[in-house]
Formats: sequence, structure tokens, C-alpha cells
Amino acid sequence: MWWITLLCLALGLFIGNHMPIFLPPSMVKYVSIAVLAALDSVMGGIRAYMEDAFDTTIFITGFFTNSLLAAALAYFGDKLGLELYLAAVVVFGARLFQNMGIIRRYLLKKH
Amino acid sequence: MRDKTGAIAIAVICVIVGIMLSVQYRTSESYGTNLRTSRVEDLAMANTSLTKENQDLRDEILELREKLANVNIESELTANLQGELRKSNMAAGLTAVIGPGIIVTLNDNPQALQPGDDPNAYLVHDRDILNIVNEIKASGAEAISVNDQRITAMSEVRCAGTTILVNWNKIGPPFVIKAIGNQQLLESGLTIKGGKLEELNTFGLQTQLTRSDNIEIPAYTGAIKFQYTTAKQK
Repeated sequence: MWWITLLCLALGLFIGNHMPIFLPPSMVKYVSIAVLAALDSVMGGIRAYMEDAFDTTIFITGFFTNSLLAAALAYFGDKLGLELYLAAVVVFGARLFQNMGIIRRYLLKKH
Repeated sequence: MRDKTGAIAIAVICVIVGIMLSVQYRTSESYGTNLRTSRVEDLAMANTSLTKENQDLRDEILELREKLANVNIESELTANLQGELRKSNMAAGLTAVIGPGIIVTLNDNPQALQPGDDPNAYLVHDRDILNIVNEIKASGAEAISVNDQRITAMSEVRCAGTTILVNWNKIGPPFVIKAIGNQQLLESGLTIKGGKLEELNTFGLQTQLTRSDNIEIPAYTGAIKFQYTTAKQK
């Protein structure tokens, strides 16, 4: 399981590195928030997978809604002059650590 | 079976996340800095260096003007021209001047704001400074400065948020207005009954007027540009 994720991540990094795509500078901050949300979703997915509670539909929809919502939150926060992206950073950051901790415990138990 | 689709979903999403990460990374790299975190520090650094550069250029302007005024006098004609130039520079505010005059100091109301009071009534505004400068001009002042910003024909006194702009420089309280001219006239112009200082005092603002026989007023240090104006040929 672990090596599949890492391999796919490496594959994605490789593809992204060779794609001739550049983001417009105004988009950079929104995409960075979306990336954070996506990472959180992946961590949550792996955790659910280990708990045998994994549901593909929930995982896929969660991935897209979380990323889009985080980016939209940052965008509207900018329009309103309110630093709403902080909410996304705090929530997803905290959840990232939480999920990582649970995954670590499962892995330690297994070996 | 469920495990397999789940693994595939995670694998696909991981690829997408990888692509997003590397594109994001490359984009931030190509724009040099992370816009979010380094912005404040960068701007502060840029501000500091630009302020210093600005000051250096101002000093250079003053130095060059000084040089221009002190070019060796070779003949009577150039001597006359130089006299003219000196006078014009003084009128335009391009040279530092000294002479007798008055110093007016304005400061905000020191009392604590009472509930229900308008905070604007406790502050010195651009209007107040403008009124006093105008009054001083009417009393025949020959040179005026506000917080060491020389008032020239093009100088503005303008509200800009919490500060006031004079010659596009931010100034804050206490406001020190210096004027060279007939001390008696200048003083009576301001302290006359119903005059500007009395008006400010009734609002609780702190005003102070002192005479001095040796007032120094600095030169205008900004650039003088004529973009649209040319002299009319006779």
C-alpha cells in the first residue's frame, strides 16, 4: 500500500515536472491552498484504507470538494479583505498531522 | 474487490496531487519567491533601501544646486545672472534661508476620547494646517515650512489616512510651522480674535506660537519637473 502511494506521488511529480504548464501568478496562492486540501484528503484516504473503512466515492468527492472549497475560500477571503485562507490552513494542517499520527500507529502495530 | 478500487483511487489521486505539487513548485520557483510569506519582509527591505536611495538623491540635488549657485564669477554679466538666479531660487524655495519670524506648533488634543465624541474633533487636520499656512502667507511671510518641508508654489497639504502629506512626504503631529517675515504681522494675523489659533484652541487642540530671530527654513528637496509647461515666447 505504502509503496503504491509513494510511487504514484513520484510519478505525478515527474509528470508535473515535464508538463509545459505554468500557473498565472494570481492563481499561485489558491492552488497552494488546494494542494494542502488535496494532501489532507490523501492522508485521510490512506487512514480510512488502513481502518478498513475506505469508501471510494467518499474519497473522490472529498478530494475534489475539499480542494475546490479551500481554493474558493481563499479567493473570496481575498475579495472580502478577510484572511479566510487561514481557516483552511489551520483545519487542513491540523488534520494532516492527526491523520499522519494515526497512520503511523497502524504501521507500527503492523510491524 | 473493494480494496482494489480503493487502491486505484488513491493511486490516481496521488498522481494528481503529485502533478499539482510539482507544477505549483515550479511556478513559485519561476516567480522567484513565495508570494505569501516573503511579501512583507521583501517590501520592508525594498522600502528601506529605496528610502535611503531617496535621501541620497535629495542630498545630491542640494549639493548640485549649491554648486550651480557658486560657479566662479567671471564677468559682471555672469555675476548679475547669478544674483538673479539666487533670487529666483529663494522665491522658488530651492535654497535654505534664515531670518526672523515665528514658529507655530500644533498638536492633537491630549485628553482621552470621551464616549460619544467624534475622534476627528481631537486631531489636527490638513485643513487646519492649510488655513494657518494661508493666513501666514496673507500676513506677508517670505518663506514657510511645515515639519521641515518647504512650502513652494506647488506644495500640497493633504490628508492621507492617518498622516498628512506635504511635498509628498508623510508628516505627523506635532506639526511645526515655521515662517520668515515681519514677526508682528505674522503673529497678529494668527492670534487675532476669531482667528485660526483661537478656533483651534476652542476645539482643545494644543497650539503654541513663539517668535524667533533666527529661523532656519530648509530648501525644497524634491524634483522640479515641467512636463506640460513651456515658457511663452515674447
